[in-house]
Amino acid sequence: MNRRFFLGTAASLLASSAIVLDGLPAIAKGVDVNAVLNDPEAPTGGNPRGDVTIVAFFDYNCPYCKTSAADLARVVKEDGKIRLVYKDWPILTESSVQGAQFALAANYQGKYETAHHALMGISGRGVTGDTMLEAIQASGVDMKRLQADLTAHGPKISALMQRNLAQAEGLGMNGTPTYLIGPFRASTLDYDGFKEAVAEARRRQAAN
Amino acid sequence: MSGKFFLYRMILALGVLATLLGAVARAQTPLPMDAAFRLAAHRDAGGPLRLEWQIEPGYYLYRDRISVAGGDRPVAITAPPGESKDDPNFGPSEIYRDRVSIPLETSAPRSGVVRVTYQGCAEDSICYPPVTKALDLATLALTDVETGLGFRTQTASVAAVAPAGTGLPTPPASSLMTGSLALTLASFLGFGLLLSLTPCVFPMIPILSGMLARAGENLSARRGFVLSTVYVGAMALAYGVLGLAAAWSGQNLQVVLQAPWALGLMAAVFVILALSMFGLFELQVPARWAGWIARRNGTRAGSVAGAAGLGFGSALIVGPCVTPPLAAALLYVAQTGDGLRGAAALFALGLGMGLPLIVFGTFGSRVLPKSGPWLMRVKQAFGVVFLGLAAVLLLRALPEEFALPVWGAGALGVAVFLGAFDGLTAATGWVRRLEKTAGLALAIYGAALIVGFAGGGTDPLRPLAFLGGAGPVVAVVPQTLTVRSEAALDQALAAAKAEGRPILVSFTADWCTVCKSNDRVLAEPGLAAPLSGVTFIKADVTRNGEDSRRLMQRFGVVGPPTMFLLNAAGSELAGSRMIGAIAGNDFAQRLEHAVSTGSQAPTDSIFPEWSPS
Repeated sequence: MNRRFFLGTAASLLASSAIVLDGLPAIAKGVDVNAVLNDPEAPTGGNPRGDVTIVAFFDYNCPYCKTSAADLARVVKEDGKIRLVYKDWPILTESSVQGAQFALAANYQGKYETAHHALMGISGRGVTGDTMLEAIQASGVDMKRLQADLTAHGPKISALMQRNLAQAEGLGMNGTPTYLIGPFRASTLDYDGFKEAVAEARRRQAAN
Repeated sequence: MSGKFFLYRMILALGVLATLLGAVARAQTPLPMDAAFRLAAHRDAGGPLRLEWQIEPGYYLYRDRISVAGGDRPVAITAPPGESKDDPNFGPSEIYRDRVSIPLETSAPRSGVVRVTYQGCAEDSICYPPVTKALDLATLALTDVETGLGFRTQTASVAAVAPAGTGLPTPPASSLMTGSLALTLASFLGFGLLLSLTPCVFPMIPILSGMLARAGENLSARRGFVLSTVYVGAMALAYGVLGLAAAWSGQNLQVVLQAPWALGLMAAVFVILALSMFGLFELQVPARWAGWIARRNGTRAGSVAGAAGLGFGSALIVGPCVTPPLAAALLYVAQTGDGLRGAAALFALGLGMGLPLIVFGTFGSRVLPKSGPWLMRVKQAFGVVFLGLAAVLLLRALPEEFALPVWGAGALGVAVFLGAFDGLTAATGWVRRLEKTAGLALAIYGAALIVGFAGGGTDPLRPLAFLGGAGPVVAVVPQTLTVRSEAALDQALAAAKAEGRPILVSFTADWCTVCKSNDRVLAEPGLAAPLSGVTFIKADVTRNGEDSRRLMQRFGVVGPPTMFLLNAAGSELAGSRMIGAIAGNDFAQRLEHAVSTGSQAPTDSIFPEWSPS
């Protein structure tokens, strides 16, 4: 189960280190790359001091996101030097929006990745909000706290999703999943694909 | 060569080939939605309407995500069985590849607008947000409505574990028109009340009070209430009819009402009203009607009927500065295609706008003079106002520079009536002296306007500006391209896309006064810098023909002035649409935002697509 790979990284949620990637302009053609990589509100995983950052744009009703989420989690865990940024970009179904709200609210109790992987673990592309909640409940998220955080931080969560939306549109993304891996972008990749892309990103960064 | 060796080599070759193909496939950025799925609508002679998608290789549409809706009701479609795709991450799905043709049920409406929504994915790559296109059933033209869910800020709730619904976000357009009827009506009523606070409604006050003044001496509060209620009721009715028509046709009625002949006709009506005010003749409804109405309610009939007619007419023509909000309201209504609801909503809007007028008509009437020579002066004043309104209407159909001589002549005329050129004696009272002062000031301004016209000026506030510099002050409107047809627009867009800059599209027309004032805002020096970052295309819809209609339909524009920004890839930037008058500051902000987000064409320039080396 993917979640296992991430249980140890909850502490990293609190840390959003400012990694300046060489070779990437801080602001390129109007899209503030730094804001994409270092949104202080966006949940993060992996190694906060990692040398390669992967930014994942995904939807909880997106089959290819689910396929690749497990491989991504495995690569991040095994590599140990990847910083992962989660960009909830709910664009496929209306319940996707709810799913993203639930997961982002779970971040306030330090359980974003628990909720994220619970949601990614449900198969299908038409998962309802209720089914999503049941999965989150089963994953051990404190539901009372979740409701309280949804109520208290609703506008903040919405604002974060809006920012993600604007960034995805600004970067010309067409759909989910889209991954930014170091200086590259990619859609669905498998385990080997992620590994190769990360290696190439390291080579590129070293060259610059 | 042994068979085994040959087999080995074949496998190796295939492996290399597969890797190469895989690399090529993966290196490709997924196509934009509209390039991956190309939708067209056909109607065979006598047959049903068919929706047809051409699907790029490697892309597919979900059968269960294709839907058609007219208003809030779904339209039945008969989707053929698709290829079944069963994958643990998908659940069982039926999909279409290459091409699919879906007929609408023959019972589907044959006119109006339906919304077609569909969703698909690129194989092993990405899934696209749902896309919705508006399909005009009469012309089969397709326009973008919205891509994505347009999710906004509704917060979900854990309480949804019980099926209590989680406040699913819905796009504002549908929520306003699909909620309970009472709520819709209340919203539109409130909206109308808000509108009545804008100067747009001011022209109605002189019309109403002119009418009340004409009603003469015995104008009681009750009578004022009746008359103004009839007036407002008729006005609301006019909006209701407009709403009904809009819902049925989805067409731009404002354009028809702003056509030169309609403006000329209404200007003529106002001139006649003015002449009546000057006492040339009394306007009366034919005795037969008057008698009929008198028998019905036992009141003085002519005025009631007159109030109704005046209310109906002034709603349609006098309120063009209400165009922007009205356009928004009509757009909502037109999209629903629900005639009764549209009519009711617009009626409520008109009623809201008129409520203050009723208050004015009831209580304000006491302020009006009851009798005597005063009444004559008041009527004359309204006559002047009516002439002014006629001039405003006419000028909308005339080129801009005619504004100066027309207003100049008007100002001189008023000056003469104020006695600017009549002599004073030592015994003249102070009121008369003040009048003469005002009259002289007006005369000088009127003369300046006419001189300004002769000197090539166009700005009524600075008619003599041409004296200050070399030649007339020409507004430095940034380099623009004016298009009048869809073909010309496509050409302009293609050229603009090549430049990779965001595109500002402005719908404008010669008769649109707000467009002219917008042009003046655009020429402000503060906007030169932000405007230099965009390509500016003007879509001129002065002529109310097929070309204009298609242009407006393509972007779902209800009428000018409407401006919006396209990103360098040619899709509209969310939230960039501005209907009505623009303000320099706000506009500059939107532009800057667009330039920062919209310049980025969906290309690989930042974060190039990764391809395994």
